[in-house]
Amino acid sequence: MRGTIRSIYLLSLIISAGVNSARVVAQPETEQSLVAQHWVDSELQPSTLSRDEQLRELQWFINSSLPYQGMEIRVVSERILTHWYEANVLAKAFYELTGIKVVHELTGEDDVIQKLSAQIQTNQNLYDAYINDSDLIGTHFRSEQVVALSDFMANEGQAVTLPTLDLQDFMGIKFTTAPDGKLYQLPDQQFVNLYWYRHDWFSNVAYQRQFLAKYGYALGVPQNWQAYEDIADFFTNDIKEIDGKRVYGHMDYAKTDPSLGWRMSDAWLSMAGVGDVGLPNGLPVDEWGIRVENCRPVGASVSRGGALNGPAAVYAIDKFVSWLNLYAPPESSSLNFTQAGEWPGKGVIAQQIFWYTAFVADLTDPSLAVMNEDGTPKWRVAPSPVGKYWQKGMKSGYQDTGAWTLLKNTPLKRQQAAWLYAQFVVSKTVSLKKTLVGLTPIRHSDIQSDVMTKKAPYLGGLVEFYRSNAREVWTPTGTNVPDYPGLSRFWWQYISKVVEGTLSSQQALDQFATAVDKHLDMLSKRSSHPCAPKLNDKQPAQFWLQQNGSPKPVNLDEPKGKTLPFEEAINAWY
Amino acid sequence: MHGTRRIVNALLYLILASFAVQAEPVKVLTYDVAPFAFTNGEQNQGLLIEVLDELFKRSELEYMVQFLPLKRAIISVEHDNNTCVLPIERSQEREVHFQWISPVLVSRYGLFDLPESQIYLTTLEDAKPYVIGSFLGSGVGEYLKDFGFRVELTSSNRQNVNKLLRKRIPFWAAELVSANHLMKKAGVNLTPELVFYTSLRAMACNKEMDFKKAEALQASLLSMYHDGFLTALYAKYGTEI
Repeated sequence: MRGTIRSIYLLSLIISAGVNSARVVAQPETEQSLVAQHWVDSELQPSTLSRDEQLRELQWFINSSLPYQGMEIRVVSERILTHWYEANVLAKAFYELTGIKVVHELTGEDDVIQKLSAQIQTNQNLYDAYINDSDLIGTHFRSEQVVALSDFMANEGQAVTLPTLDLQDFMGIKFTTAPDGKLYQLPDQQFVNLYWYRHDWFSNVAYQRQFLAKYGYALGVPQNWQAYEDIADFFTNDIKEIDGKRVYGHMDYAKTDPSLGWRMSDAWLSMAGVGDVGLPNGLPVDEWGIRVENCRPVGASVSRGGALNGPAAVYAIDKFVSWLNLYAPPESSSLNFTQAGEWPGKGVIAQQIFWYTAFVADLTDPSLAVMNEDGTPKWRVAPSPVGKYWQKGMKSGYQDTGAWTLLKNTPLKRQQAAWLYAQFVVSKTVSLKKTLVGLTPIRHSDIQSDVMTKKAPYLGGLVEFYRSNAREVWTPTGTNVPDYPGLSRFWWQYISKVVEGTLSSQQALDQFATAVDKHLDMLSKRSSHPCAPKLNDKQPAQFWLQQNGSPKPVNLDEPKGKTLPFEEAINAWY
Repeated sequence: MHGTRRIVNALLYLILASFAVQAEPVKVLTYDVAPFAFTNGEQNQGLLIEVLDELFKRSELEYMVQFLPLKRAIISVEHDNNTCVLPIERSQEREVHFQWISPVLVSRYGLFDLPESQIYLTTLEDAKPYVIGSFLGSGVGEYLKDFGFRVELTSSNRQNVNKLLRKRIPFWAAELVSANHLMKKAGVNLTPELVFYTSLRAMACNKEMDFKKAEALQASLLSMYHDGFLTALYAKYGTEI
């Protein structure tokens, strides 16, 4: 009965696609090729491919999936608009093209990680593929439980690897490649944390004059933390009200909650300049303050050569707390990530040091106070300002890619079917349309397209960022972190104590670094992987602080604030 | 000499005390939800009761089960050493407050309909135009409501079987093991049109509970997955992991 219903449905697609079939060149009029025409014409536009190229790519999926027809596979990802589109529109298209039914579950990122860990530990095939953040790359390649996609594509996955996948076209491919040179994850969506500000307020001539008179430099996009602080003070304490509303020069959140940890682990310390020079992450010390030697994490505390409790990290946390207390709305210290996310749209915030571009789609809602009548935003995003320990060549912010991950204990046939779906939702046939829906671009070809040029004025600087070299300098957690799920939970536990005033930044970071060292030591005893942690012996802090690079000694400089106009702030990265 | 005797006595006391802690049965708190855990006053039954039985047997630990409402059970476990609660969600907020034995339960949720239904679901979104039955307090009901589905809640899940059979709702969202249990009671056997969500549940133990007990329980749980015990148990309850 159900089969009959499906046939009737497919027939209706074929009839509707038939109207356009005259345009198809050399396509066999099979049922499935007509279904492909239907999807290309009705949904998968625009694309950087021509219509014929799209149809050829879809024909490859139709042909390659024949051995898997009738299978039902299960995949899981976090709950963002991009994945909603995949789960409800693209999974349907894939099924109608290939006959492989995909249950694409949506849940919290935390739950995705728990499920992935559970599959590894229990050896039960809970899901056939996972989309999880590339922050886990350091965990994955050491675990030996994750399929190295570069090996898979060359061997058992060769017949189901899309010839037009074009790996070099993915902007985040470096983030999902391990020190062993192998690709472990395939990027599916990508977002970045950027400086966010009210371009209309910054363009106000009266405010510009007032700011210049007080600080001696122009009101613009801050290039360093001193300028950010000056602007925060200016709007919170000098301007105070705009259009009868109390306004603030800074927005953040600090509720004792796991999301406080993301604020920090999503690279607050990198902006301050805690790590070493090196991209995508500092080497030998990264922005978590973890030192590696020959790919082996050797410690986070200064006494072991790390920087998590060094002067730069103390400076970073002190600034976080003081800005929160001095310049943010009083409610902010009791807000979590989700609650704070609504604030920029209220029209009372002048700037935010970093803001997740995954919210661009939400913050371009025409009904919001931060939108112009012509559909362009009153706000802009730009590269975030950096702290006084930051040096050229260092990572200066956070970007991440949610990426397809296959586990070794998934049966091969199910891996292959899931790999087909994974490639489908990132294929060039699909990716530009998906980018326009979710605004989480993954491909160079999409971001450079004419379509995105036309869209750019409506996205507040997102396209300009991705077209600049800054996209290489904003990066995810790197391979120095050997157990992301185990270590990430420490952040909010220790930083919350500073926010609550029970510990100073130095005290909390000392405890935090000790906890990380202890965890690394535990991992070293459990793993024989050549890149498993192996703690350095303790040395007096001065030993490490006198070496070049991170951990860095106290910097007593008080740099003057520096700003640039929006265009120059973006061009600085071209 | 006296000093030596005191040291020997102290050591003996410590050894005996450690045996006493080891020997003290772990108190496991759960709540009444058939067919996972329920009691007729004399005998405890259900899938989780069978899991516990095997888990503690393999860990060579004594235990006792007590039924309590979930909120009270969680508060008790936060305060009382040697106490655990299951099944609960292992969230980041809860993570640091307990020692975890996980996953003790893998639940799949499906949308059930009548065999003669003409509605074909490829994705969950295909069910958007229709009313979905669930019950008050159901996590999956909340999940669907969050995504904008029209969810009609009853006071008990059992009522949804009748509503579905009387065609008052086209779909019923239910956990597969519970659904099998309720359908058996109603004398029907329906299959889900779409299995759309998976959840994992854990056992949370007091943070101060002997770490070796928690370690033994976790190792035993994993062995139950690895040797097929849990696969067979789920099959007995009419589903698969």
